[in-house]
Amino acid sequence: MIGIALGFVLSGALGAALYFSPAIAAAFQDFGHTIRHQALASPSASAAPTLLPAVAPGNAFTVLLLGSDNDAKFSGNEVLTQSMILARVNPATKQVTMLSIPRDLYVPLSSGGTNKIDQAYLHGGVDTAIATVEHDFGVHVDHYAWIGLLGLIHLIDAVGGVDVVAGNPVLDDFYPKDLGGNSPFDIERVAVLPGPQHMSGMEALQYVRSRHDDLRSDFGRSVRQQQVLLALRAKAKLLGVADIPDIAAAMTSQFTTDMSVTQVGELLPIAGNVSLSNVKQVVLLAPYTSGQFIGAQDVLEPNWNLILPLVHKYFPPA
Amino acid sequence: MRRLRFTAILLVLWVAFGFGVNRFLESRKSALITHPNASVPTAVTPAFTLPGTVYLSQAGHLYRFSAGRFTDMGLTPNAGSWVQPALATPGRLLVVARAAEFSDVYLVDARSGAIIQKLTSNATRKPAHVELNAWSFWPHLAADGSTVIFGYDGPKTGLTYEVHLAVWSGPLTGKLESKQWTDPTQYTGGDVNPVPLAGGGVIYARYALNAQSQIVSRVATVAKPGAPPVYLTAEAADCGEPAVSPDGTQLAVICTSDTQTARMELIPLVNGVPGVPRVLVDNCLCASPAWSPDGVSLLYLAPADATGHFQLWWLNKATALTPALPKQVTTNLDFDATSAPVWAP
Repeated sequence: MIGIALGFVLSGALGAALYFSPAIAAAFQDFGHTIRHQALASPSASAAPTLLPAVAPGNAFTVLLLGSDNDAKFSGNEVLTQSMILARVNPATKQVTMLSIPRDLYVPLSSGGTNKIDQAYLHGGVDTAIATVEHDFGVHVDHYAWIGLLGLIHLIDAVGGVDVVAGNPVLDDFYPKDLGGNSPFDIERVAVLPGPQHMSGMEALQYVRSRHDDLRSDFGRSVRQQQVLLALRAKAKLLGVADIPDIAAAMTSQFTTDMSVTQVGELLPIAGNVSLSNVKQVVLLAPYTSGQFIGAQDVLEPNWNLILPLVHKYFPPA
Repeated sequence: MRRLRFTAILLVLWVAFGFGVNRFLESRKSALITHPNASVPTAVTPAFTLPGTVYLSQAGHLYRFSAGRFTDMGLTPNAGSWVQPALATPGRLLVVARAAEFSDVYLVDARSGAIIQKLTSNATRKPAHVELNAWSFWPHLAADGSTVIFGYDGPKTGLTYEVHLAVWSGPLTGKLESKQWTDPTQYTGGDVNPVPLAGGGVIYARYALNAQSQIVSRVATVAKPGAPPVYLTAEAADCGEPAVSPDGTQLAVICTSDTQTARMELIPLVNGVPGVPRVLVDNCLCASPAWSPDGVSLLYLAPADATGHFQLWWLNKATALTPALPKQVTTNLDFDATSAPVWAP
């Protein structure tokens, strides 16, 4: 009898394993990377990386969300991070804080020297990007998730699109035509009309990526990126465990994270428990930053005397 | 032999159980995953019918909703996606055909869908210079019956990142981009959704930067080309998508207060002066209100389920102190939320 029961258990497990095979494959490919934290004390030192313990269940944790224009202009993983959003999730209070870090912020990089913060990933991958954020902002990053252009499109399409209130018309005559064009340097026109609407992955990418015709420059783009993230959160709370294989399959090629598939699955109910009114969105406009021309490039000079108290208010040191 | 048969049956049961587990998990997928695509309007039967004819856009096709069923107007897909219909002269519609990098206004036969006239030519002849293309959106025929009011962003010369829509007008029988009515705030997206008024002015939504460095929208009116805007809504309300009732006494708008939720408000207009706004539908993702020909009820678009696809909703007795509850007209369709329905008698 035990043998017969065991047979049913095994066949059931095999059926489930086949069902979850895209997620299992993704777990080996794109999930479960480990963050190698560097000592906070010396921003430019080659301190030995340290592995920190995982966050205890139920405790607040931080996630650094990274987005890259990983089109054909770049080779392999040698990309900038056009989008950096540090999020703090507190499951107990059901509150989320999202801090958009401007890509042009001129900061000391953990790999050495001072440059735009979007260069950190280029100079040392995700560990350098995380270390730079930790060193400069005095915060601890528990987890990260990196996504490329196609990864974002596929993720949004996998959940059937996102519902967004486009805050203003987003028009761009110089939008990069680097997905499917003849040359990665081609440009095209885009026009996202204002108002509530349902966006496909490609439309949402245009909405969050366009930056040329916005009075707020990169800050406007940061606001739009946070809007689409919130729209994704709204979709995530409607997903269940049975949806994980489809989501994992959609994100196979252009998504990496240190979180396991299980941890990502555990985030879904947390997303569902957070209401919009409990999401604090922070963008480092003036006077937190000011435009400068340094080293033949337009950069944003951080006012650390204002930034650090603000950041530590919402991202208290562990 | 008996043992072999028993083993074979057991194997079949095990395989069936494993398959059953797999199918059970498949059946537990959410609607987001299993129903990403909406139906084609012609394949569905709406919950109820509406008097007259309603024109709507879905997936680049223009549909006529009349006598309880949808008909694809059959406009040629070669011109682009057909969006933003508006009533023109009797039996005719103004419609925008949107291509990848430009859009044009057409006059089409409301019955047959035949193109009567292409009113703009916004595609550049120099494809390498995409900035020489132009956008035209939201065409409406003015009360004089011969002037088209619309949103327009013209070709640019020289290297400029600035692209903005402004309110323009022109004769139905001549060059459409003849008169520029508004001077939009640069690098905000501009002035959008113009609606002609019976008295000759235009109501539209104007984007500008506020003191908190947010780009917000206010519904404004201009009496004539070049006149300064007179605001009808507060900056903090962040309202747009105006729809003026046929008698000009009521203004329906969509407001967001710079958030990711919306509400539909009704603002009485007394000689063009706005009264106290009243919320008709709150905490929604509602968009693109449109009045019934008799000015009693409103149509609008909003999602009805987790898919986020926009459906047609009907709000009867919209101007009454206690409006009726909104009724969902369609299910599992996916209307273009930036194309307001048009309701013809």
